[in-house]
Amino acid sequence: MTFQVAPHPIDPAPFRAELASRDCGGLVFFEGRVRDHHEGRTVTGLHYEAYRELAGKEGRRLVAEIAAKYGVRAAAIHAIGDLSPGDLAVWVGAAAPHREQAFAACRELIDAIKMQVPIWKRETYANGKSEWVEGCSCGVAQAPDRLVRP
Amino acid sequence: MNVPLHGLLLAGGKSTRMGREKASLVVGDGGMTQAARGIGLLGRFCDQTYLSLRAGQAAPAGAEQAPVIRDSDEAQGPLAGILGAFREAPLAAWLILACDLPFVSEALLANLVARFREKPDAPFTAYASSRDGLPEPLCAIYGSSSLPILQRHAARGHFCPRHIMREENVPLFPLPPEDSGALKNLNTPEDLAGAVAAREIHLAWFGHLAERRGLREEIVRVKAGTADDLLREIEDRHRLGLDPKSVRVAINDEFVARDCRLHPGDRVAFLLPSTGG
Repeated sequence: MTFQVAPHPIDPAPFRAELASRDCGGLVFFEGRVRDHHEGRTVTGLHYEAYRELAGKEGRRLVAEIAAKYGVRAAAIHAIGDLSPGDLAVWVGAAAPHREQAFAACRELIDAIKMQVPIWKRETYANGKSEWVEGCSCGVAQAPDRLVRP
Repeated sequence: MNVPLHGLLLAGGKSTRMGREKASLVVGDGGMTQAARGIGLLGRFCDQTYLSLRAGQAAPAGAEQAPVIRDSDEAQGPLAGILGAFREAPLAAWLILACDLPFVSEALLANLVARFREKPDAPFTAYASSRDGLPEPLCAIYGSSSLPILQRHAARGHFCPRHIMREENVPLFPLPPEDSGALKNLNTPEDLAGAVAAREIHLAWFGHLAERRGLREEIVRVKAGTADDLLREIEDRHRLGLDPKSVRVAINDEFVARDCRLHPGDRVAFLLPSTGG
């Protein structure tokens, strides 16, 4: 089980290899790639920034939690830095004895990562302007604050 | 019907070791005296809030507007103040708070009041000291049923509320872990110096907020005692659009609840909703 935040370009090959095993008949992979448009505007580039220490911890926690929930093996990697349309921004994989659990875990993991891992994106448009994308605060309610103090 | 809960800030002590009246001290950068802070805190939970003073003592700075209750002559020390409160309203429950507890947070009082509301007939609702497990009588709720108990002890010359609570085997609640140091009081100029220095916080900014703030790291001196207070204080200073409803808080690379206590040197980050993926 693993999660990484790494500078663009990311390579999911080792993660994919790690997930494959003789007892898993179903492997599901999701690739999130940079789209060339957003809300009617042409997007020419994306910049991802992370709170890396916390993103790593939170991502690993989500991978472990969802893997345990569905009884699957799971991994994910998220890129940071400057990306262009078509580039790989996030990769999620889940492996299970049967496909249903793998599909469900992969789906839930990408949704959870988008909402809860502290990573933010800034879009650059065809006119040269760039803006931070506004997030949805629904992730706050979904992520109960965990009180961890020494 | 809810038992009325009144508040009493004990400020009648002589502050001998401090050498200056403790209630008038300003602790931290907020500019509020301890008396003003205490009255404000009590006011958030109590329908009426009073200041407890010795006979003839003038109100401390910042609390001149608060109604005053003078010490009862049935006892000495804090018990004289507490009995004075019951003379004012014998059927109310009293949230008693000493004025020299600068680390007491709103969350700590909210927790105490919640415990009290579960058992409003209990004579005492009190925390156990994180240091020695003994009762903490000066941040506690005294129900109206405590009055005969207190009077009985006072009549025998027992004036120490901690000893009274021990003798009465008062059940105690543990301090929340994030507030384990909250009942440390200030007795000496050295205590005061330590408390003032405790207000240095490291702020980290990310993404949109780093851009609005114009920097990624800073060290700030603040009066805030909790993450939530800090959020409001920073928002007041810089108008970054920090909305408590959507901002998450991390301390030392962990998500924390917003009422989490701040400690000296903590690295705090306010985080806008994630937009990864």
